[in-house]
Amino acid sequence: MASVTYDKATRVYPGADKPSVDALDLEIGDGEFLVLVGPSGCGKSTSLRMLAGLEDVNQGAIRIGDRDVTHLPPKDRDIAMVFQNYALYPHMTVAENMGFALKIAGVNKADLRTKVEEAAKILDLTEFLDRKPKALSGGQRQRVAMGRAIVRQPQVFLMDEPLSNLDAKLRVSTRTQIASLQRRLGITTVYVTHDQTEAMTMGDRVAVLDKGLLQQVDAPRAMYDRPANLFVAGFIGSPAMNLVEVPLVDGGVKFGGSVINIDRADLAKAGDAKTVVVGIRPEHFQIVPAGGLEGVAVTVNVVEELGADGFVYGTTQVSGQDKDIVVRVHSREIPQRGETIHVVPVGTETHVFATTGERLSR
Amino acid sequence: MRHRKYPFIFGFLVVPVVLYIALVIWPYLQTFGYSLTDWSGASPEMNFIGLDNYTKLFKDSVFLGALQHNLLLLIVLPLATILLALFFAFMLNVGGRSGTGGVQGVRGSAFYKVVFFFPQVLSVAILSVLFQGVYRTDEGGLLNGVLSKIGIVDPAHPWQWLADPDFGLWCIMGVLIWSGVGFYLVLFSAAMQSIPKDIYEAALLDGAKRGTTFFKITLPLLWETIQTAWVYLAIAAMDAFALVSTMTPGAYYGGGPDHHSEIMATLLMRNFITFGKAGYACAMGVVIFFITMVLSVVSLRVTRREKIEF
Repeated sequence: MASVTYDKATRVYPGADKPSVDALDLEIGDGEFLVLVGPSGCGKSTSLRMLAGLEDVNQGAIRIGDRDVTHLPPKDRDIAMVFQNYALYPHMTVAENMGFALKIAGVNKADLRTKVEEAAKILDLTEFLDRKPKALSGGQRQRVAMGRAIVRQPQVFLMDEPLSNLDAKLRVSTRTQIASLQRRLGITTVYVTHDQTEAMTMGDRVAVLDKGLLQQVDAPRAMYDRPANLFVAGFIGSPAMNLVEVPLVDGGVKFGGSVINIDRADLAKAGDAKTVVVGIRPEHFQIVPAGGLEGVAVTVNVVEELGADGFVYGTTQVSGQDKDIVVRVHSREIPQRGETIHVVPVGTETHVFATTGERLSR
Repeated sequence: MRHRKYPFIFGFLVVPVVLYIALVIWPYLQTFGYSLTDWSGASPEMNFIGLDNYTKLFKDSVFLGALQHNLLLLIVLPLATILLALFFAFMLNVGGRSGTGGVQGVRGSAFYKVVFFFPQVLSVAILSVLFQGVYRTDEGGLLNGVLSKIGIVDPAHPWQWLADPDFGLWCIMGVLIWSGVGFYLVLFSAAMQSIPKDIYEAALLDGAKRGTTFFKITLPLLWETIQTAWVYLAIAAMDAFALVSTMTPGAYYGGGPDHHSEIMATLLMRNFITFGKAGYACAMGVVIFFITMVLSVVSLRVTRREKIEF
């Protein structure tokens, strides 16, 4: 077991003028499950591969426990990785795939067999041990890839979008399996995904990356409740947070008919900007009867009924411009398309950001 | 519409099938027919003599020697070429430094790939002239020149290379391997590039060193390509006519000294063209045909393994 530290780790691809991972500072505790999340090309996979030793580190350092592994070859780092396409050896059986690392390490045959069988039992693979990967389903292959990692009992698990090739239903069940397996084994894990449901549900902490820069690291709940900047606010949460640019007025910001109060000290951070960005999650709107002065009128364009609740995709007028707004509504009170509803943001659940991206509200 | 379909297909098939029969199948049959006669090749007269040519053939010590030489080529040429090509292809694609930075070839691999392919674009005639220069028996030869400069060869008694009875055939093999490795290098490179890179990365993380990666990952995954290469090279080994006939000493199609580098093809040509024993030569042709065919089928059968899918 070990902690993992990225110390201003930077990766610049040859020929690129901007770093793909820019001075990443990140500490991952012993036994922690950290999820790296971000849009495509944000540098999350590169960060993981730097830790694996499959990618050079141009500046800074990476440590596993107290060992500086920055320039160690992958085999000396004591890590195991689960690849997106599983990277199983196609000419070996499941058992050979899982035991390959141990065989190279010179573990004797009896021990190897026991370890592989143990891992196969945990992952429900016992009956497939003599099959080749091509005779397995996607989910089974994924489990073999997991098995290959856990057989080795490494210091760190690395997972590079391991669920993205599974169908939606299998993804949900495998998600919980991986999370509980990790808790049981207690091995430090770095997990890369672009799926924010995975990010929110699996990790002890989530790190959001964008354009090679670390945006925020926090527990999933804290990140959802208090995104550090506009990017995180827009990225975490599905459907995404409504982000609307509104003018500043005395004592707060004006959102439709209502004024959202902001602490004067916080507002000062915006400098002499005339507008700020207000963020409201779809579930933090209240529907109010028409005719009141408060709230904004939203014309319903599309309604998504998900059973438990519904999402209204509509447009509203904010400072003379049409803005798209998403509102979560109760499943029994779903409006019709074309209808107009009046919504008011729940006062305590609003976020205010400077137009530059920085968070203003507490 | 349905009834029209078959004449349409037939129309396209008939030309190639007729051409194939006339230009491939018929000559084979004809050769077999001539091999049963005492045809001289020059006159239209011939007598049916049954299997006499074949019984003579298998008592002919020169032919049996040539057959032996071909079999030696058959073992050495594919083995050496494939091993060298595999080694180079591995180094150029995945054998790079074993530090961080993942899976890559050695430095400058793109350059080497081009350089290694050069011999393949040379025609056999150029190869022959080039290596006659290399193997010259006086100090003007590249090998003798260099070796005598560094004092290994006595300039008064230079090595005979192609003219040496024990060495001539090996010199020819050297040229065949030198000119063949580039092509198989490119063939294996292409096959290696179709292996997903993350498999190599997984092997790296599993702790495999270069040697282990090569024998446990690359080789099994390249098996089908190696098999194909083996068949090509086996066929090339049964031939080797152009180089032997132009480079080795001996009047009419080389093979010397004293048949020490004789192969079936040179013997066939000499019998057909020079000695006027066309029927006898045809019998040799038939033997070469059967040996080549049996070898191809056997090597494909014996080395067959389960098909690999990525």
